[in-house]
Amino acid sequence: MSTTTAPADAPARPPKRSTGLSFDQKMTPGGTVVTWVVLGVFLLWTLIPLVWMLLGSFKGGDDVTAADPKWVFTPSLENYVGLFTGANNLLPYIWHSVVAAVVSAGLSLVLGTLAGYGLSRTRMKRKSDLSFWIISTRMAPIAAVVLPLFLMFRFAGLIDTLPGLILAYMTFNLPFATWLMQAFFAEIPPSLEEAALVSGCTRWGAFWNVILPLSKAGLVTTGILCLVFAWNDYAFASVFAGPSSQTLPIAASQLVTQTGVDWGQLTAIGTIVVVPMVVLGLAVKRWLVTGLSLGAVTGE
Amino acid sequence: MTQTTAQPTGGQELAPERVQQMKQPRRPRRGLGFPGLLMAPAVIFMAGLSIIPFLTLIGMSFSRVRLLGGAALEWRGLDNWARALTDPNLWTSWATTVLYFVVTVGLELLIGIGVAVALHRVLRGRGLVLSLVLLPMFVAPVIVGLLGRYLVDPTFGLYTNWLQAVGIDIDPLGSPVTAFIAVALMDVWEWTPLITLITLAGLSGVNPSVLEAAALDGAGRTRTLFHIIFPSISNVLLVAFLIRSMDAVRYFDIITITTNGGPADATKIVPLRLYETAFRFFDLGYAAAIGLMMLAVTIAMAKVFVRLLDRKGLAQ
Repeated sequence: MSTTTAPADAPARPPKRSTGLSFDQKMTPGGTVVTWVVLGVFLLWTLIPLVWMLLGSFKGGDDVTAADPKWVFTPSLENYVGLFTGANNLLPYIWHSVVAAVVSAGLSLVLGTLAGYGLSRTRMKRKSDLSFWIISTRMAPIAAVVLPLFLMFRFAGLIDTLPGLILAYMTFNLPFATWLMQAFFAEIPPSLEEAALVSGCTRWGAFWNVILPLSKAGLVTTGILCLVFAWNDYAFASVFAGPSSQTLPIAASQLVTQTGVDWGQLTAIGTIVVVPMVVLGLAVKRWLVTGLSLGAVTGE
Repeated sequence: MTQTTAQPTGGQELAPERVQQMKQPRRPRRGLGFPGLLMAPAVIFMAGLSIIPFLTLIGMSFSRVRLLGGAALEWRGLDNWARALTDPNLWTSWATTVLYFVVTVGLELLIGIGVAVALHRVLRGRGLVLSLVLLPMFVAPVIVGLLGRYLVDPTFGLYTNWLQAVGIDIDPLGSPVTAFIAVALMDVWEWTPLITLITLAGLSGVNPSVLEAAALDGAGRTRTLFHIIFPSISNVLLVAFLIRSMDAVRYFDIITITTNGGPADATKIVPLRLYETAFRFFDLGYAAAIGLMMLAVTIAMAKVFVRLLDRKGLAQ
């Protein structure tokens, strides 16, 4: 099912030079310049906002909103300290975010792995209908999902509860995990389980002892992407979360008030929200192509 | 895993019924079978989280939703649908959505593919550059929006400051056209890396011998790119396009937190109008009709996506 086989970040051929950055040797000097101008401009465009956020989070006093933006300043931790002391303590928000993201990702991964394996091996007639249902559930517009869930949750008393938020996140994470694990399992030839069955494994044993250990990359990638999607959510939380279930993105949005915005604290929250996801996301960089194209393109 | 190396020849010692089983793998099964059993929990869960809400949404779209003391539906027939089809504000929102979609996805494809082609030429250091390029994708959209507001603030924004330095003195989020451009660019900032990532995977998969043949035939760089490379990764590009398209209707956090649809509805794409209708005016029935319209668009795109996977043998 793969359209490509080479890793996205692997050199197309062995490098000619041993140090520094080098190029396709057939490249003209003009081509080299154009390439680096394109990449340089794009890197600046990509990185400046992130660097500016990081710097802002360490600016004390009025530095963060200086009319003449400051690249050089005396670093201060007052924004971070302010987030964890006084009236607006960030810890409950962090806790809610962690619980909602980890539990929804974990449950989705467990159920999605089982279902994804079943889906990759089933010979049922309506398989394509089932696949289509799963992918369209994942892709359903959040706004269209929030509405009926709001009514159902109100009915079931799940508004402003963590279980409610976890269920809401599973509306997109469970179909995502199922679909993606199906794509990873489809890469493993069925002859492996057949061999295990012949040597006396049960079907469950073949799955558990043979297939799962071969799918570690898929499991980790799926789990991490589910975690990122849930952690980064704002649309669901803005409707379902109340005082006892507010998450970090909500905390960030609440710093925007009628009277003004505390940009120092906001950039600090931004940093707290972003850094863990960047670390996790880059940890599975090799499989990101597969994960984010829902298994349609494999980069590995 | 030692089992993975087990050979079918080990079957000599097997019980006869197991050998029988292996000989007839397509024997009709009773009940769900093993794959069906594994799928059951997730399917039941998803039914609860997808089919029941879907039916609820349909019910809501034909009703007036009363929220006092729980929730109750009052049958209203086709009222909401008639309103949805004739509401000029909603059609304006659809037009805004289409424009927003064309601008963001168009720019993302253009820039994303360009950067991928450039990155593909870099041999050493590609991994590092790619890692840096990918960063925006992991940033929560709501943080992207807030960060954008910080950067384009008329008094202390870094970007507004730079614009002033070259003689452009504006409040980007303050007027319709610039606000639209600003929120579109925030989306482009966040999602261009996805296109780059997918395109780069496609480029890495192009058969080198084809490229060598093209070079021997005297094809130039540009001709090779447009006549050989792009056609051979057209499926990959289509996948990137479809995924971004479906997500473009999905996410609206950036706009919510920056302009919330303003100024003068210039950035009020359909999901924002739905949220406003549902959670500010509490007209959930009408919002449900809007939601079903959006769902129809997504389902049509998902259909194309799945068909593409089937036809090209990308899935199954």
